[in-house]
Amino acid sequence: MNVPQYDVAELRRALAEDPRTAELGVQVRIRGDQLFLTGDVACPERRAAIAEVAAEHSDGLALHNEVRVVRHDPPTGQEDLR
Amino acid sequence: MIRIGAVGDVHLGVDMRGTVRPSYADIAEHADLLLLAGDLTRLGTVAEGEVVADEFAGLDVPVIAVLGNHDHQSDAEDKITGLLTDRGITVLEGSATVLDVDGVRVGVAGGKGFGGGFAGKCGHAFGEREMKAFIHHTEEVAERLRTALQGLTADIRIALTHYSPSAETLRGEPPEIFPFLGSYQLAEAIDASDVDLAVHGHAHYGTESGTTAGGVRVRNVAQPIIQAAYRVYTLEPAAVEPAYPR
Ligand SMILES: [Fe+2]
Ligand SMILES: [Fe+2]
Repeated sequence: MNVPQYDVAELRRALAEDPRTAELGVQVRIRGDQLFLTGDVACPERRAAIAEVAAEHSDGLALHNEVRVVRHDPPTGQEDLR
Repeated sequence: MIRIGAVGDVHLGVDMRGTVRPSYADIAEHADLLLLAGDLTRLGTVAEGEVVADEFAGLDVPVIAVLGNHDHQSDAEDKITGLLTDRGITVLEGSATVLDVDGVRVGVAGGKGFGGGFAGKCGHAFGEREMKAFIHHTEEVAERLRTALQGLTADIRIALTHYSPSAETLRGEPPEIFPFLGSYQLAEAIDASDVDLAVHGHAHYGTESGTTAGGVRVRNVAQPIIQAAYRVYTLEPAAVEPAYPR
């Protein structure tokens, strides 16, 4: 039996535990036969690795990699906590 | 005015060497010190620790760090701590440091922290030994944080952890996983210690601003939230001396 909730759990576990990704913060949603990945990662290589691992766990699903690469520009302001 | 720079969860891998340092080249124009709130690496290897050292050592401002859960993944946390320390980065684990910033003593006490959950919705040291070990670890790190904070003699006091002392800065995360994201026991230590600001990371989907139950300001600086190299918070040393010596 194919239960989408278990597929989501398996893929989240793979993304967390596979050393290629080691990402605990990627959100996985399966809607119909569409697989959506969202979240923020440190670099483009990490984003590609997520797609690679996800592809191995998503037979028959159309993969949408909506993961973004985090911005790390110097700050433009400051918060005054006085 | 003291300018606190802070970022968490930079998650550097060996493929990122040289990529983040340029963002910190002019940090002295923005901040007087830089706090790193843990999850410095992805897999917690020594090789990744060396990348962290290469990226953050020798900046124009002092760098103070705690480790995160990712930095423990390869059981190399002591080696990573050692190599960062050798490169001039202060790594806190149940310990504290005081910096002199233009005559103002800025005290930072910190440690990784741990989960367990928040008051009324938390785990207890009861039952299986695995459950007791989980909660006992939280109690231990919270107690060491309290001791480190209360040992500080400083004009401004900052608590730096990886795990969150507040549920408020977790808004955006599924409530079911709050017990893996922080613990109220960290906040108890902070609230008992006259802290001006608590800084943490770990909750990539949380919220930047919150407070502890006792009203201390908390900032979640996980990089996916702040979407910048670091945030800057300004603090002024208390104008009125507290009733007991700091
Ligand atoms: Fe993280
Ligand atoms: Fe973390």
